[in-house]
Amino acid sequence: MSYKSHRDFFEVLDKEGELARVKKEVNWDVEVGAIGRKVYESSGPCLLFEKIKDYPAGFRISNGTTGTWPRVALAMNLPKNTSVRDIYATYEKRLEKKIPPVTVGNAKAPCKENIMLDDKVDLYRFPAPMIHEGDGGRYIGTWDAVICKDLETGWQNWGMYRFMVHTKNWLTGWPQSTSQFAFIFNRSYRPLNKPMPVAVVLGADPMSHIIATAPIKPFEDEAACVGSFRGKPVDLVKCETSDLYVPAHAEIVIEGEVMPDRIAPDGPFGEYPGYRSGTMSNGIAVKVNAVTYRNDPILTMIALGTPPDDSSIAASLSAAVAMKKGLLRHGVPVTDVYVPPEGVTHLIIVGVKKGGAEIAKKVLDYFTLRRIMTNKHIVVDEDVDVFNMGEVLHAFATRCHPGRGIFYEHYEGRSNSLTPFYSPEERSKLKGVSVVFDSTWPPEWPPEIVPVKASYKTIYSAETQAYVEKNWKSYGITKK
Amino acid sequence: MKEWQTFVRKFSDMKEGKRELFIKDLAEGPRKYDTTHVIAKVSRKKTAVKNPDKLWLRSESGIRYPEPWYISIEKELPEYVEGKPWTSVFDALDVAERQHSKSK
Ligand SMILES: Cc1cc2nc3c(=O)[nH]c(=O)nc-3n(C[C@H](O)[C@H](O)[C@H](O)COP(=O)(O)O)c2cc1C
Ligand SMILES: [Mn+2]
Repeated sequence: MSYKSHRDFFEVLDKEGELARVKKEVNWDVEVGAIGRKVYESSGPCLLFEKIKDYPAGFRISNGTTGTWPRVALAMNLPKNTSVRDIYATYEKRLEKKIPPVTVGNAKAPCKENIMLDDKVDLYRFPAPMIHEGDGGRYIGTWDAVICKDLETGWQNWGMYRFMVHTKNWLTGWPQSTSQFAFIFNRSYRPLNKPMPVAVVLGADPMSHIIATAPIKPFEDEAACVGSFRGKPVDLVKCETSDLYVPAHAEIVIEGEVMPDRIAPDGPFGEYPGYRSGTMSNGIAVKVNAVTYRNDPILTMIALGTPPDDSSIAASLSAAVAMKKGLLRHGVPVTDVYVPPEGVTHLIIVGVKKGGAEIAKKVLDYFTLRRIMTNKHIVVDEDVDVFNMGEVLHAFATRCHPGRGIFYEHYEGRSNSLTPFYSPEERSKLKGVSVVFDSTWPPEWPPEIVPVKASYKTIYSAETQAYVEKNWKSYGITKK
Repeated sequence: MKEWQTFVRKFSDMKEGKRELFIKDLAEGPRKYDTTHVIAKVSRKKTAVKNPDKLWLRSESGIRYPEPWYISIEKELPEYVEGKPWTSVFDALDVAERQHSKSK
């Protein structure tokens, strides 16, 4: 069943038994976050909180729209039980195609049903949740898509970055200094000391948010990627106070300007690695000039934290497919890349046709070239199913030589400061280190000395297996 | 007595005296956690400030100091502090504080 907007998608989830509507009044202050967390940790449904304390009926909060593989499959219009391998393959294929967006007028854009402008702007009219006890503020932007524009080329980038309510008309946030948001600000606006228009979009088509987590290359149009997933163009509409274009069916759009010379506190926040660590007050401040929203808006929250949740699942998909493409371009004979959600994009599994030290070093080289979000990489041979962590662990334990098979690289200025094990000093300088665990057989070993995997499929000949299969029933073993 | 909250990196970073701070209002309701940028007198001792409000400290990991400090707001400032994106708000507050004490 297909859907047009975030809102329609809840109908799909409802029909598939993947949605729980919470009708009892709940508190935006910690209670919705706690419920969301508990439900993630028991692989529960997507949540729609329908009555929020302090807020009028109709103002709703969701949690976990695509927080499990079955719900990601549904967002991609695939059957709910599609395997992770097939979800990856479909995602990779659809990302190859682009369907450019179309623009519509305000009359055809539900996100313009209500418009709050200038001194009417009051972010406290929305039930922005205090997600975790002790967070630095009310994070209105968790499952968002943040749009800004490069002046020279007109390219509008989408990315997912955290934003909290600072005051009734200021947001603070923390797109990392290595993000494309920062890239655009630094090249287009910083030199002119000009404010940068920005739109924080909540509740667009679910694929828009997944694509916002994807490391799509600079100057590529994320809206056209989303179009390919939908099989038809995305409707975009112009902002009220800037020439940014936003998804017309979004629930809430916050329009503002990043100040080039003003800052205010952001964070700390319980983040995607599964911790609240010391990344705070090192971001940006946004003066809000307008908020437009649908009637009865749904604020799309994710109670971010330990995996799995929407973040670790989306990143598993969007990061892995980008890495596979990048590694292939870099000359690594990749078969598949898997980003296990439990490894929160810190741990990456790379399957290769041919392994060895040279390839392992190439893998390390690729992962340390530009902005660095990862730190541990396990390279395995083709016979290992990268999606099966049991097989990956077995290969790591038995094929990675602790003296010869581990390669490091240190760097500065481009690490991921959210990495929990970095010291305050390393974080402040974006210093880091990455490692590759070469868990492949050395290609220089003659084939006849390579240890043979002692599994049914690999250590018995085809004849033996065929013989056993033929006689299976006669053994009287009921479990096949 | 009104209650506020402010963030520091480590608890030992918090100094008594006249300070420039961002504080969050802990009064219940839809505006809870609204931020105000202030110059205020702060102390561990309730008796050291006039008309004290409670001030709860949280660390960079969000851990709350078990005892409140006390605060008396002297002046409200704009929502922001001068500084470039991706630079430290704490450093900017330090610079602003030093400027106030010089201009006195
Ligand atoms: C739930 C979630 C929250 C995220 N929050 C941030 C954030 O606050 N800052 C950031 O730089 N990246 C964040 N990311 C990662 C970015 O979304 C990701 O790097 C994406 O590629 C950014 O877009 P860009 O490539 O256009 O910069 C987050 C990812 C997820 C899934
Ligand atoms: Mn992007």
